[in-house]
Amino acid sequence: MLVVENLHAGYGTSEVLVGTSLEVKQGTVVALIGANGAGKTTTMRAISGMLKPTKGRVLLDGKPVQGQDASRIARLGLAHAPEGRKVFGPLSVEDNLLLGAYSRLPLFFGFRSKAAHELERVYDLFPRLRERRQQAAGTLSGGEQQMLAIGRALMAKPKVMLLDEPSMGLAPVIVQEVFNTIRRLKEAGITLLLVEQFAKSALEVADYAYVMERGCIAVEGSPAELHKNERVLAAYLG
Amino acid sequence: MESIIIAQMAVSGAFMGLVYALIAYGFQLTYATSKSINFGQGELVMVSAFFSLTLITVGLPYWLVVPGGLFFGAILGLFVERAGVRLALEQKSEGWILLTIIIGLFGFSAAENIWGRDDRPFPTPISSDSIQVFGVSITPLEISVAIGVLAVMGLIELFKRKTLLGKAFEAVSADRDAAELMGVSATRTIMLSYGLSGMVAAMAGILVSPITTVGPTMASALILKAFSVAVVAGLDSGFGVVLIGLFLGALESLASFYIGSGWREAPGLILLILALAVRPNGVFGKASIRKV
Repeated sequence: MLVVENLHAGYGTSEVLVGTSLEVKQGTVVALIGANGAGKTTTMRAISGMLKPTKGRVLLDGKPVQGQDASRIARLGLAHAPEGRKVFGPLSVEDNLLLGAYSRLPLFFGFRSKAAHELERVYDLFPRLRERRQQAAGTLSGGEQQMLAIGRALMAKPKVMLLDEPSMGLAPVIVQEVFNTIRRLKEAGITLLLVEQFAKSALEVADYAYVMERGCIAVEGSPAELHKNERVLAAYLG
Repeated sequence: MESIIIAQMAVSGAFMGLVYALIAYGFQLTYATSKSINFGQGELVMVSAFFSLTLITVGLPYWLVVPGGLFFGAILGLFVERAGVRLALEQKSEGWILLTIIIGLFGFSAAENIWGRDDRPFPTPISSDSIQVFGVSITPLEISVAIGVLAVMGLIELFKRKTLLGKAFEAVSADRDAAELMGVSATRTIMLSYGLSGMVAAMAGILVSPITTVGPTMASALILKAFSVAVVAGLDSGFGVVLIGLFLGALESLASFYIGSGWREAPGLILLILALAVRPNGVFGKASIRKV
């Protein structure tokens, strides 16, 4: 569903990605783990078009999308819940969710009724968001904002979802909740690329994983295989 | 009698103040989406007013002149965005400041060449015979200004709150990158904001011209005060510009009556300097928090 081939990208003259390749098959959860600064977030940004790759290809559902605007790639079916959550602070929770479905809703009238079904699904997944639907998103707690960011990405009914560091800055109990949500999304058949600091938890939910080091993939394999790899075990799962 | 005169001055001034508020609102629209404003907005008001005057002189009825003028203003706004703002923003440069000033100067010269340097009356079917309200005389023309200003601002605010496109407009103001990730094109949203801003400027021109007459120099007088209103009120409160606009309009009318007409510009400038010194985010502005 999502194929990344030999991706190069960077900021100014400093190259961060030097030939990253990975694949996310339909209906699987793939984890991307690695140390700080290895290029995990940059990989996400280069895939979703927030950063233009200098070389390499990104195939979404078989079609090359590298170099296109982020808004265009989003409309083609990729939802990126970015690092730091980036909810629209002054807007209400419900408006945030509606904007998640922006690319498939009418722009003027009737968008609310057309999104109603999807909205209910997200509210069922995160009852806390239903309680706070009229509240400004900026006033939510960190964990609630993360749920909103995930819910907003789900509203797009994406072909592939990118989830960047959902546990960042959250209390351990909330982190558990986030991972439970990811497990439920997996059961529902979502196609997900997950970047995580908590390598252990990430490998528990993932079908397949890539370990990034210095801008490219160092090791890849199923979680079971990575658990047998001594180097990975020592560096990330110790 | 004294209090009646003061009330009369304040009320007539306040109507003019609404026009400043409308132009200031045009600044807010583009600032929200792109953090840039059109420094040639005054010329946009003036050129649109001249264009509308031409529509009147070729014999178009007033109810067709208004939409025609608004459409023309929107096109001008889009032109400013394309020619003066987009490239600068793409390169993350502040070049739009100079470019929009230059486009404004160009508009000024063009107006002088096309329509001449003289101030011209702007005929309107709305009567300027005054009616008495609590001893203060008000003309239907002035009431039409108030209705026009509040209607345009109200419609745009309704659009922002009730339609998905409007919400996307707000999303781009809140977080441009995140809006792009939702499939909202920031470039198009900025175009939309400049189009709306141009339309608002044209509306201001059509509303104010019957009172002040139309001339190439009308731009500089209007823009200075609109700018004061925008800075004093803050660049993100539509409600704020209306209040500050009313206040400033009344104040300058009183100043020119009591101190002398040469001091007309003084209250605006003093308020501007005070605001910059004491509350740079504006009276109604939100303090922007920058994370470092």
